[in-house]
Amino acid sequence: PPPANAGRVPGPPDGGWGWVVVFGAFISIGFAYAFPKGIAIFFKEIQDFFGTSYSEIAWVSSIMLATTYGAGPISSILVNRYGSRPVVILGGLLCGIGMVSAAFCTSILQLYICVGFITGFGLALNLQPSVIIIGKYFLKRRPIANGLAMAGSPVMLCTLAPLNQFLFDNFGWRGSFLILGAILLNCCVAGALFRPIGAATAPVKTQATEEGKDALKEEVIKDAMEMSSPMNITMETKTEEEGGKGCCEKVNQYLDFSLFKHRGFLIYLIGNVLMFLGFFAPIVFLAPYAKHIGIDEYSAAFLLSILAIVDMIARPTTGIIANSKWVRPRIQYFFSFSIAFNGACHLLCPLASGYTGLVVYSIFFGLAFGMVCAMLFETLMDLVGAARFTSAVGLVTIAECCTILLGPPIGGTLIDTFGDYKYMFIKCGAVMVLAGTFLFIMNYYNYHTVAKEEKERKAKEEDPKSVRTENEGRNNWNKETAQDGPELEPLREEREGLKKEVNGT
Amino acid sequence: GVSGTSVEKNITLDRATRIELSCRLDNKYSHLKSLQVTWKRGNETIRHINKTENSWSIQLRILDNSNLGGYSCTLKGEEETSAMFHLQPKIEGKEKPIVSYEGDTAVMICKSFDYTPIAWTWYMTNGSEQIAVNDSLLADKYVINRLSANVTHLKILKLTKEDDGVYWCEAAFELGKSKGKLKLRVLSLMVPLKPFLAIVAEVVILVTIVFLYEMYSKKKEKLA
Repeated sequence: PPPANAGRVPGPPDGGWGWVVVFGAFISIGFAYAFPKGIAIFFKEIQDFFGTSYSEIAWVSSIMLATTYGAGPISSILVNRYGSRPVVILGGLLCGIGMVSAAFCTSILQLYICVGFITGFGLALNLQPSVIIIGKYFLKRRPIANGLAMAGSPVMLCTLAPLNQFLFDNFGWRGSFLILGAILLNCCVAGALFRPIGAATAPVKTQATEEGKDALKEEVIKDAMEMSSPMNITMETKTEEEGGKGCCEKVNQYLDFSLFKHRGFLIYLIGNVLMFLGFFAPIVFLAPYAKHIGIDEYSAAFLLSILAIVDMIARPTTGIIANSKWVRPRIQYFFSFSIAFNGACHLLCPLASGYTGLVVYSIFFGLAFGMVCAMLFETLMDLVGAARFTSAVGLVTIAECCTILLGPPIGGTLIDTFGDYKYMFIKCGAVMVLAGTFLFIMNYYNYHTVAKEEKERKAKEEDPKSVRTENEGRNNWNKETAQDGPELEPLREEREGLKKEVNGT
Repeated sequence: GVSGTSVEKNITLDRATRIELSCRLDNKYSHLKSLQVTWKRGNETIRHINKTENSWSIQLRILDNSNLGGYSCTLKGEEETSAMFHLQPKIEGKEKPIVSYEGDTAVMICKSFDYTPIAWTWYMTNGSEQIAVNDSLLADKYVINRLSANVTHLKILKLTKEDDGVYWCEAAFELGKSKGKLKLRVLSLMVPLKPFLAIVAEVVILVTIVFLYEMYSKKKEKLA
């Protein structure tokens, strides 16, 4: 009965069609993360064909990765404006077009453009919206949904690697690119599953009892504005509601730069940017390191398979753990712990001797990697709130872009300079332990400050109209009351969480 | 050690050299010292055997191709054992076939391990014959480059179905020649197109189903 509910946004379904959306996100996220790694199989042949050096070919992967992360803000803006579904479908089409045109390339530069830019951009348009929409569909079970969707990455990698090899053996690199283009079109199917949800689909919501709720409901997509109002940027909210917009407001409507004043967001940003310096390098160098200490090629490749399998299991499991009532309110601590655990693994790796030691390392690394990835976006959603998540995720990805690209080359330089892999592992381990500790301490401070603000707020305000901060929402998770506050906050938090997930993996 | 089994060893040489081959007995067989040990090349017995405490060795001067081959050391007595020495360098081609398309270019690379050949020649198999690939005669079809001392590079332009087959890259050394094998498969563009269209069709069908289902459930909701 619409009239009675016109004034309030229904909470996220936390199930039902949401699980189908999780499946779609699984596919989409899987392609976005696994595809750049998967095409490395073709590089040797392409290198011979064009007569280039290995580093010139490796640029293809780097450009693709850089575009996928760097185009984050554009993706966020588009989702803010049009919702997840059209963006993912467009992303799928772009990926398909990119790879099909790559099949007809006659120079390495054309490959950079087709495989690097176009496909990379398409993958960016796949990644962000998938994570964002999970936040729209889930609140109470969001960590599980996030964990399941993120598991798409290792599963796709395990599928793509042998598939790519099979395609290559039978069709050569050109035919494989053509067929991969078609396979990437399946992202459009995933996108079709992303049914829009939330106030965006409900046109009549003018009977809201409270202004704040109203604005929130009416502008689920533009909730960045609403959320920013309690953060002392009232002007934006008012102008948004009035309909008259200045330039800043207009920009903020699409991409919420006010997030840079948000304490939790800044903590997350700094901690994650630091973490990514040491996150991917060990994976890149694990197989070469194994070969370096005398292990044969197939066993070295098997180490990565072990990592992927453990990763696959760890992600949903972490999601379930993070969802439990003991961990969820303190999810930031769990996240910092998993980052530090990851760092500890790397620090201990040089002590691993022989194949068995490396197998043990791969298992623990897979576990730690999965734990971090599963919660990467969940924690951002948790800090920033679902409403601002769309913008937050775009801003975080572009910041992480730099360190993600720098990580492996720095590791490579360390290896070349010292001729020994252990310094790379020590560097990665140290950086991650530092990031984990930083996040732990800062989040401890954040939780306390937020709780204090909460108390002050509750003390002075009786009016449930004002939009509350994320903290209230977080505290209200366990309360299944039909108050406006919890409803507003969960949405906010959900969106934020989506953004986080989009960034990570 | 000698114990009734045949041991075969391959030795790779790339240039004229003096080499000593020796057969050694493990200590536990020293009671067999009095037995006869012969070095043979094929059926020909080699006479000048240097005998020490428990090893028998021959000195060879490998000057050219004729000296290469199998040498065996035979221990007669209760057990007959032999060790074979072959001398031949290894060339690497590619085990899996190279797949390319009509009208496209194919690049085939051959590498020599450890030893530098004097010259490289490419051969194409036509039926049972091997024809040398002449890049000066057909310069717009074949391009042969020596990328580095140990690597040779054959580029075939404007591929046609006839180019499909087995290719050999032969490395000439002072002492002989070694070959590497490569297979080239030339496919028509239709071959990958079929799976491509099949997958595109699948995507279109799935997307249509999803949207139809959504419209159907919305209608149901409205009616309900």
